[in-house]
Amino acid sequence: MDNIIELKNVSYEYSNADEEDIAYTAVSNLSLNIERGSFTVILGHNGSGKSTLAKMLNGLYKPTKGDVLVDGINTKTEETEIEVKRKVGMVFQNPDNQLISSIVEEDVAFGPENLGLDPKEIRKRVDESLKAVGMYEFKNSTPHHLSGGQKQRIAIAGMIALRPDCLILDEPTAMLDPKGRAEIVDTVMKLNKEKGITVVLITHYMEEAENADRVIVMNDGVIIADGTPKEIFKNVEMLKDVGLDVPQTTELLYALNKNGMAVPTNVLSVEETAQVIANYLEEK
Amino acid sequence: MSVLEVKNLTHCYGGNTPFINDAVSDVSFTVESGEIIGIIGHTGSGKSTLVSHLNGLLKPTDGTVLIEEKDIWENPKEIRKIRSKVGLVFQYPEYQLFEETVFDDIAFGPKNMGLSGDELKKRVTEICEIIGIKPEYLEKSPFDLSGGEKRRVAIAGVMAMRPQIIVFDEPIAGLDPKGRQDIMKIISEYRKATGATVIIISHSMEDMAMFTDKLLVMSRGKLVIFDKTENVFKNGKELQKIGLNVPIVTRVFYKLKEMGIDVPLDVFTVEKAVEVLKNAKAGDRNA
Repeated sequence: MDNIIELKNVSYEYSNADEEDIAYTAVSNLSLNIERGSFTVILGHNGSGKSTLAKMLNGLYKPTKGDVLVDGINTKTEETEIEVKRKVGMVFQNPDNQLISSIVEEDVAFGPENLGLDPKEIRKRVDESLKAVGMYEFKNSTPHHLSGGQKQRIAIAGMIALRPDCLILDEPTAMLDPKGRAEIVDTVMKLNKEKGITVVLITHYMEEAENADRVIVMNDGVIIADGTPKEIFKNVEMLKDVGLDVPQTTELLYALNKNGMAVPTNVLSVEETAQVIANYLEEK
Repeated sequence: MSVLEVKNLTHCYGGNTPFINDAVSDVSFTVESGEIIGIIGHTGSGKSTLVSHLNGLLKPTDGTVLIEEKDIWENPKEIRKIRSKVGLVFQYPEYQLFEETVFDDIAFGPKNMGLSGDELKKRVTEICEIIGIKPEYLEKSPFDLSGGEKRRVAIAGVMAMRPQIIVFDEPIAGLDPKGRQDIMKIISEYRKATGATVIIISHSMEDMAMFTDKLLVMSRGKLVIFDKTENVFKNGKELQKIGLNVPIVTRVFYKLKEMGIDVPLDVFTVEKAVEVLKNAKAGDRNA
């Protein structure tokens, strides 16, 4: 199996600024491989260690114990730091904090310019990236006149202009309205399927995990569940125990079963859910 | 009696500049005492601008805001008095914590209203009881708390002023599912204990379906719908047109209807869905 990212017995400990002792262990002895081209969703309550984990995936944080390998390169090696960040791009929660230019295409060009690329190549990459996120027609707009979902897509375009192998998105939809959320999830899904970019998406919206290849659940700095969305959302009680939830479709199917209506619970999308309910109603 | 009335409210940013823009345009609505009102709308639809008028943080370019049938701008010098009647909890209120202890932070609002000594202490302890902040927390630094706890303390600071109307601007944004439930619970507890009128801005249609009596729908600065929550979610197509949606469970019922199955479309919560499907199945058997 070809892994883009490998974590080997990784811990991250925050220490007090004035003391030597460890104040808090955010990630604890965790091992994990992310397969090239896969779409992984990480779930976990606030403080479960998911953001710390995410920041270790591109070397923004260096593990205090263990090693993180990106495409075989250890993130602790100083000489290759830039190479690692070029391979793994990050998108954060608030789009306003990630945009720096007053014109969309200039913002997207910022990364490639810093790589010292040929102007023709920059032009090509900016256009390609904006098209990939469906924002090409806004290339001459001002970012602060755009909606939250559009701004977040510009932030993503800025990342993919660097041609990363992998994108890490840390709650990119937390500040968006329903339409903006759908735009981001669709965009990321498309980048994964069509461009083969590996995606790691951190989210509090359970329904965004529906189409992932793999769902990882974190609690207190360790992985407590790892599987396909259908395998993970079966564990309604376990998820609620760790402060999470299930998509409302799953909740409905479980509630029906509890009330004596035997519908299958191994589906997630609205369409599939409607289908199993329809089948159930038609049974005599 | 209407506790709040907004009449033909318009707010224009950047007047006298080329960037002139009506953030809120000719909005009118009336809220009865004790109601829970949800405000939904796409980002940039004017929701936050609208609610900033309710306690006089912004002055309308045009139109009036009446609290208990009195124009809040009748005497501009008195505008601060309105702020203890109408509490406004901003987005990410935890960023506004600043005192050394949780107690001092919660006491800041009531202190500014002129309370002191035992009276002040009573205000703070009462609100902590209502929303479940443990007494041992009061001496802690607010900065040592977790994100969800900080937000709870920040909200308590507004509630301690005992506003008759309390407005929340996206109170659950950025929280995990448990954190979201906790915040919605303390809002309900406060309302139960005080009978206050509650106005909530949120992007979570599922929570809106569960908690609100009425929904106010904003789009591009205009009020497009103001009606009982169930009536609003019956207009699924309308909502989708303006970038919103109905709760997921409602989408399942829309799909069933599309498949030619005779189900009602006014199903917005899992409980209601179970009840409806139970009856549908029983109806089949009887037929």
